[in-house]
Amino acid sequence: MLNATNSPIRGIIPPHMLEEIAKRGTTRQKDWALHNLTFAGFVRGQRQAMAALPTAAAVGHKYRTVNDNKHEGGNPPTGALVFKEGDPASADPAVNEAYDGAGATYDLYYDVYQRNSIDNRGMSIVSFVHYESNFNNAFWDGSEMVYGDGDGDIFDRFTKCIDVIGHELTHGVTQHEANLAYSGQPGALNESMSDVFGSLVKQRVLNQTADKADWLIGAGLLTSKIQGQALRSMKAPGTAYDDPVLGKDPQPADMQHYVKTSSDNGGVHINSGIPNRAFYLAATAIGGNAWEKAGKIWYVALRDRLRSNSTFKRAATATISVAKELFGDGSNEMKAVQDAWKGVGVI
Amino acid sequence: MKISFEQSGGIAGLRFATTLDTAGLPPEDAQKLRRMVDEADFFNLPARIVSPRPQPDRFQYKLQVQESSRQHTVTVSEEALPTSLAPLVKWLGEEARRKMREKNP
Repeated sequence: MLNATNSPIRGIIPPHMLEEIAKRGTTRQKDWALHNLTFAGFVRGQRQAMAALPTAAAVGHKYRTVNDNKHEGGNPPTGALVFKEGDPASADPAVNEAYDGAGATYDLYYDVYQRNSIDNRGMSIVSFVHYESNFNNAFWDGSEMVYGDGDGDIFDRFTKCIDVIGHELTHGVTQHEANLAYSGQPGALNESMSDVFGSLVKQRVLNQTADKADWLIGAGLLTSKIQGQALRSMKAPGTAYDDPVLGKDPQPADMQHYVKTSSDNGGVHINSGIPNRAFYLAATAIGGNAWEKAGKIWYVALRDRLRSNSTFKRAATATISVAKELFGDGSNEMKAVQDAWKGVGVI
Repeated sequence: MKISFEQSGGIAGLRFATTLDTAGLPPEDAQKLRRMVDEADFFNLPARIVSPRPQPDRFQYKLQVQESSRQHTVTVSEEALPTSLAPLVKWLGEEARRKMREKNP
């Protein structure tokens, strides 16, 4: 199958077109496209082309489970399975929220980007709720979701916000694709990808167009004791909170204000404000549902173009070239993406 | 003994920090802190402790301990936190949050 001699036009058809053919073409066209995808992946040494094969061949596999950590912690977390795909609603809101949020995230990736779960191979989405006690965080541990209940003082429970769930699960997608290093600019891009698709999960569930969305991450997660509306604002980075206890939201909105720091793995949750705003600018300039065009451009870049050491500049050139391939040279979409990265001073 | 502590990261990317001097603490707290620093073998820990598989959105802790002529700084990722160092990090984290709340009761 990896014989180069029977791929006379390899390298001309971009992988995303091959994938479309692999999914929608006649049986013969599908075989040809799959062959070329595999060859292209082999040449580039990338695993995503291989990972694309099951999508083309199989239908989606949506299977979710929720485990209850019962505040016991552990790394990996402990706790029995309390809920599985198709069960009737639980009496525990954290269980329902973790399950529904995982479902909405799966649906965005599958319905819009034809991605079959986190790994594109239909992996089960496992969530642990009630992690430790007063735990002020949620995270993807490399193979499953972990949610704290918050301390009730600064944070409410972390399952409460569907964009937080989409954010965490997108860390899993990134791990299986660009695998952006979790430090400095690649780390801030990793964070930004999670905010972008987390926000898109929420916008799609609420059926909001780009101009109607709040572009906030974690709205409602901070308790009423805190002066702030959310963890971050993609539209206006640096304005999400300003509180005597937490301080002021430190996110920059452009490259001029890029923060150099050794905290937070080199400011991955700080400088993500820059690519976040670039996405907001692109999506609102394109208009309509942000997940359809801007989201597709960012998704293809994450899947096919970015690497573990990619910088903001690399993300700019990658998304511009994907926009060009998907929508045409000089298209409004391509111009919108170009203007967005110029708007935040990356290019 | 002077200790500075900073927690950063987490999905919220919030920073919590505190600095304390055992000289200004109740004797039982000062003693407990000294014991936790000893049990962590703090002055012999590497300056940077990371996991071979970093986990996104985990906390990052930075601890600096100064005692007479010795000073050492350790930056450690939550998922790589040595068991021996965990009690000290937990204690300092609670102390940092308590102090921040005091600023705004």
